Amino acid sequence: MSPGGGALLPAVDRTAFAVALGDRLRARGVPVGLTLVDDFVRALVCTTLRSRAELYWTARICLVRNHDDLAEFDAVFEAVFGSAVLPLDPHARRDGPGAAPRGDDNHAPVPGSSREEEAGQGLPWVTRPTTVDAADGATEHTLALPERLPSDVAGLVDTPFEKLGPYETRLLGKWLESALRTWPTRRSRRFAVRQRGARIAVRATVERSRRTGWEPVVLVRNGAIAQPRRVVMLCDVSRSMQPQAVAYLHLMRALTLTADAQVFAFATSLTRLTTVLAQRSAEAAIEEASRRVADRFGGTRIAGSLRALLDSHHGGLLRGAVVVVGSDCWDGDPPERLAAAMARLRRRAHRVIWLNPRAGAPGFAPRTTTMAAALPYCDALVPGDTFASLRGLITQITHCARRERHPAPRM
Amino acid sequence: MVSALFEDADEVSRRLDAVGQLVDQGTATALYLATTLERPLLLEGEPGVGKTSLAKALAAALDTPLIRLQCYEGLTAGEALYEWNHQRQLLAIRLTEARSETLTDADLFTEEFLQDRPLLRAIRHTGPVPPVLLVDEIDRADDEFEALLFEILGESSITVPELGTFTAVHAPVVVLTSNRSRELHDALRRRCLYHWIDFPGPERVVEILRRSVPGADAPLLASAAEFLGRARTLELDKAPGMAEAIDWVAALSALRVDRLVRGDVLRTLSTLAKSPDDHVALTEALTQLGCPPEGEPHASDAPHTEEARKP
Repeated sequence: MSPGGGALLPAVDRTAFAVALGDRLRARGVPVGLTLVDDFVRALVCTTLRSRAELYWTARICLVRNHDDLAEFDAVFEAVFGSAVLPLDPHARRDGPGAAPRGDDNHAPVPGSSREEEAGQGLPWVTRPTTVDAADGATEHTLALPERLPSDVAGLVDTPFEKLGPYETRLLGKWLESALRTWPTRRSRRFAVRQRGARIAVRATVERSRRTGWEPVVLVRNGAIAQPRRVVMLCDVSRSMQPQAVAYLHLMRALTLTADAQVFAFATSLTRLTTVLAQRSAEAAIEEASRRVADRFGGTRIAGSLRALLDSHHGGLLRGAVVVVGSDCWDGDPPERLAAAMARLRRRAHRVIWLNPRAGAPGFAPRTTTMAAALPYCDALVPGDTFASLRGLITQITHCARRERHPAPRM
Repeated sequence: MVSALFEDADEVSRRLDAVGQLVDQGTATALYLATTLERPLLLEGEPGVGKTSLAKALAAALDTPLIRLQCYEGLTAGEALYEWNHQRQLLAIRLTEARSETLTDADLFTEEFLQDRPLLRAIRHTGPVPPVLLVDEIDRADDEFEALLFEILGESSITVPELGTFTAVHAPVVVLTSNRSRELHDALRRRCLYHWIDFPGPERVVEILRRSVPGADAPLLASAAEFLGRARTLELDKAPGMAEAIDWVAALSALRVDRLVRGDVLRTLSTLAKSPDDHVALTEALTQLGCPPEGEPHASDAPHTEEARKP
């Protein structure tokens, strides 16, 4: 591409300019492929740029393909052109204003795992026992497969919540998000062509028979489409649940972000947290949620809160949903009321799972009157004192994907 | 590049302005580049920010038909590209049998029996100006459907096995919109130019509202825009977008309101809040949004209320 016109970039090699800007974006993690750079060059050819804003929009529209990359693009653009005096000086002709000051080696080694927030601090592996290195000086030239050591996360999952610091809790929250891969489904009323469907799709079969002289040799089948099932989680944030509250909020956030989940917190009254937890960063969301729940770390009214949920317009959300109640079952309400509320809940929900932080302790028996009252209406009682057990809860939720109603394991 | 549709981005804004659509510089640049480079344009943004209306306005500005394909779950090639008219084919077979004529396979697969669906219609359009093809809410269609679009997006052509490949005389201006209910595939993103439409600033909101609701008067528009700006900072299930704002101001002006008062806002709140939770949240935040209760002056709000009552 010949150097050419435009009041903003006089005598700048546009190809070099575009490639350099693309390079710099790529270095910052924005996926800029060749097609995109090509688009940008063509766009620069057919527009006469007169202001920085025009350059910004042209570059942004051509080089960014995802909303998530916009912030990074803005940062790079600001770094490159923020203080630059435009029209650009002839220096830019040599390697473009966006060229990063770096060597010629494009194949510089990249650290194996750059996603530190997932693996935790420090390298989660060692290359070789040090004794071998000491014996033989030439070992650094031999390639060795790194031996994996348990990362921070793996070591932390079995630690009770009380002993975790805020950093570890955040780390494990991220780990929970990544753990939610499969999701329970429900059968919807809509049908689509499926290989082993129950019905014969007449229209598709006739269409297919066109290939065989209108002789329906291959039967095309229809099957019901599976839709993700809703999950509703209620979390107790009363005083007795104080150590677990933040961890449970992380779990609720993971549920909200990954799929169609509705989450509520309760102590003496019910607060809906779905929108709060779904937005912004994890810390901000947790902080906002804690602020929103006015009555946290006070007394508990499980039965009253459940009734409030059942009676409110959110009651419809429970229909056919997997309901998770996270509480230690120390209730201020009489157990009969809880039993009545649980019976209503049971009739409406597809599956009820009780998450109890004390159930993991050895020798635990559901002997408190409230737990005994609620248990007949639960499909499963799951311990919830470590992140490993929360992962177990996720496995339980995923189990609900199976269509037949098998008796869930009870503890 | 043959006969560009627009000279530059300013002309895009001017001509869209003439058909009643206000666009900012970014959107104008996006449309200009999409038409000049002949690349599809992927528009994303919050619901109700004016993605679909932008495509409509573009078609109006170019004075060319808008061909719209509304995507939905389970959308198939038969509904998007073309279908053979089975009934007519069968009738033709019966007819030739009755007349005891002979019929070859080629007679049955002619354009006469081809039913155009939106994508093929856009490709086969004949006219001096290419049509605007709007693939609306592509995120609602299944992943497989995206792959179907690649041929038309890349080469502006559609292959019908029995007839051959149709290639567009002028590549249609393709606009795709997405609400980000799921991530689109990278291969689709790569083929399109991308523009994220931001929610406009208060001045522009007033401008757009003035265009859309000619009956409303200036002070109402200004205070409504301010109200919206504050309401959008609340944690709502669905923050009110431009479409809701237009509905709301239209409702206010239909009720002949000339000043934002609590009672009128409450009466028309259903145009802004689209869920019971949002309704509650907005009602609770009305004081903070600039509409204090009238009957009962609160201790802390008292000076504010007095101020609001003065005019």
